[in-house]
Amino acid sequence: MKKFMTVALSLIMPFSWVFGSPLFSEPTQDTTGQKTERPFVAGGYYDKPFVTRLFGRTAIGGYMEALWKLERAEGVNEGPSFEARRFNLFTHSVVADRLRVAAELEFEHGTEEIKLEFAFLDFEIHPALTFRGGILLSPIGRFNLTHDSPLNNLTERPLVSTLIIPAALSEVGMGFYGAFFPSAESRLTYEIYAVNGLHDGLLAGAGGTRIAEGRGAFDEDNNPLPSLVGRLTYSPLVALEIGASLHTGPYNRYQVDGIQVDDKRNLTIAGLDWEYRQGTWDVTGEYARASIDVPPSLRGLFAERQHGLYTQVNYHFGRGWITMMPRSRFAAVGRYEVVDLDADIAGDAIQRFSLGLNFRPVEDTVFKLDYRTDLHWSRVDVPKRSVGVNFSVASYF
Amino acid sequence: MQGRLTVTRPFMVGSVILALSGMAGCTALFTGPVEEGETFDQPLPGLTRAQQLAFARGDEAFEKAFSVKEGLGPIFNQPSCEGCHAGDGRGHPRTNLIRFGRNAGGVFDRLDTEGGPQLQERAIPGVAPETLPAHANAISVRSGPPAFGLGLVEAIPDAVILAGTDPNDANGDGISGRPNMVVPPDWVGVPQTPSVGRFGRKAGVAFLFQQVANAYHQDMGITSDVLPNENPHPVNGTLGDDAPDPEVSRATIDDVLFYLRTLAPPKRGPVTPEVKRGEQLFQQIGCASCHTPSMKTGTHPTIAALSQVDVPLYSDLLLHDMGPDLADNFVEGEAGGTEWRTAPLWGLRLVGDHLGGTHFYLHDGRTSDVREVIQSHGGEAAQARTRFFGLSKQDQDALVMFLLSL
Repeated sequence: MKKFMTVALSLIMPFSWVFGSPLFSEPTQDTTGQKTERPFVAGGYYDKPFVTRLFGRTAIGGYMEALWKLERAEGVNEGPSFEARRFNLFTHSVVADRLRVAAELEFEHGTEEIKLEFAFLDFEIHPALTFRGGILLSPIGRFNLTHDSPLNNLTERPLVSTLIIPAALSEVGMGFYGAFFPSAESRLTYEIYAVNGLHDGLLAGAGGTRIAEGRGAFDEDNNPLPSLVGRLTYSPLVALEIGASLHTGPYNRYQVDGIQVDDKRNLTIAGLDWEYRQGTWDVTGEYARASIDVPPSLRGLFAERQHGLYTQVNYHFGRGWITMMPRSRFAAVGRYEVVDLDADIAGDAIQRFSLGLNFRPVEDTVFKLDYRTDLHWSRVDVPKRSVGVNFSVASYF
Repeated sequence: MQGRLTVTRPFMVGSVILALSGMAGCTALFTGPVEEGETFDQPLPGLTRAQQLAFARGDEAFEKAFSVKEGLGPIFNQPSCEGCHAGDGRGHPRTNLIRFGRNAGGVFDRLDTEGGPQLQERAIPGVAPETLPAHANAISVRSGPPAFGLGLVEAIPDAVILAGTDPNDANGDGISGRPNMVVPPDWVGVPQTPSVGRFGRKAGVAFLFQQVANAYHQDMGITSDVLPNENPHPVNGTLGDDAPDPEVSRATIDDVLFYLRTLAPPKRGPVTPEVKRGEQLFQQIGCASCHTPSMKTGTHPTIAALSQVDVPLYSDLLLHDMGPDLADNFVEGEAGGTEWRTAPLWGLRLVGDHLGGTHFYLHDGRTSDVREVIQSHGGEAAQARTRFFGLSKQDQDALVMFLLSL
């Protein structure tokens, strides 16, 4: 017993000393003396409005999105049409001190697609070390963690964040996240999880490698090795944050009942994201690169390398222009993005430029009018231009 | 004031500016229609409403790319029709397919038991693709031919094609075109008697229906009501895939068949004086002896747009010996290893537009240079080739300009 206590204390004491150091202490006051309340991910789960508005053991909230859309290519209209895109319900439950359970249930296109986007348990050991387990939003890129429609200033999600990083990417797994505070203004965060990973559906699609088609291994992993996903962010000051992330692991079923039926094939996605706010301006963006180990019999038809980028500038203005809604404001938005869905050939790429104008009567509700123009290169490098107009409404509740 | 929406002056001014700029830029911001006859994917003029609907249905089926779950494979070449016929035009060399066999001592073997005559070089996960047998010596690499105008080609009566034959070169012009008389398989549902082949690089197929059902089966590994059993794997025998057979219905085959029958050829480009001159030279030096400028369709029983119309395809649809540079040693029906069906020249000016800006010519897309194409013509076309290179540079340019106006 004495030996056990000695071992336990020798483990706990350095642990307590490390987490007691200033590096792990969240500053409670900024340089102006104001209390600093920085969410772990701005716009992420712990920054959703219902979490801060409601009290009690379980809070419920959500968001909705509906739109009118018109698409046109080579002079031919697709639509116009209305679309009930999303109705999502959040729950957040404080089970006990340091224990929280959170979930999001998503209804897409009415009840056409219903899925549990996340459902996890958080056990906070220390601000620098929280255990998370369950269905979680994979920390690959920033957008996957902050993709709620009322947050986004354009109706359509960035291409790189849906085609290369297949937002919303939920996976079942377990791991840790936490934050460190090297100085009063700076912050370093990490998230790292072992997850089931994606499955070989990413090569089962018809149009070539489509990573999004490999989502959804919630029941059990299709191979004996988990994937790893993690994100590291550094924020030297409150207005700037840079993140780097990685998702890597085998995606295919290479072993059945202990029998090797295929070679182990890996999917690796690396991402870099950034966000900078300065007064009424902010700039966000994300770059991602995917490397897919494709079976020899499908090479040339299915891409082995994909990458893409988006960068978006938002300009906020007009607060108080509408006098009966003093908290209302407008935003002008511009986004440039490009994705190369097969980096080994000329073609199979999309370039998009979007412009938008938003009105927010209150912070949690947005009316968006946006226009986009696309150039889509086929697999034999023939360009085709198309345009789209959306008018959408989205609101937290 | 309670309840009234009041706005400040900057808001009003901004709204007016936005509305005005939006109206002014409207036409520039939206895409315009494609000019008629400038692409390969437009319907023949004169289709009825019902026929246009059938055309749209076929278009959708033609574009559809099959996934593994939908039955792709187990061995295949491409997942969609468009994979080999980009934009309904000819295929990119990247998607070339291979026909193979063994040709020795005047005997040709399609090597059916070894996966012949078509190499399916791709396979769904868990299945090995085909490989070329070591003793195959007749290897024919081919780009997908253009998909437009096929209904018009089908509607040309046999007699019109046969009128151009001269198998023994009776007129002494060095050209001896002959038809590829092929017997259709029983599943085509027509009498199994020799018919005039007109589809494919060697005119090995007489009926468009046969071409469509076979393409589903061989190129995509998609079984249908017409061909309900998977293409057997040469090593592993008959393998299943992820979908029950048949994977498409006869109705889908018919939709694509209708689409191809009513897919219009592009219109001709501007006819400048230089093009006119080139056209005359084309006739004078003998190119038109095989590249027959036009043939006329007969009366089509169901599609009026195919009846009694000129078909400016620049081909006689007959087989010709093209010499050693183009020979593939592959036998198809009555077509020998040096013989090819005269390639139609219509739509030549738009080839590059459908292949990422590069004009890939000849049956395997080996060159982008029209002069190189002409240079490779041998056999029955040798005399015309010699005459072409005997022309002045200006005349050669005019002839090339004519070809690129088609």
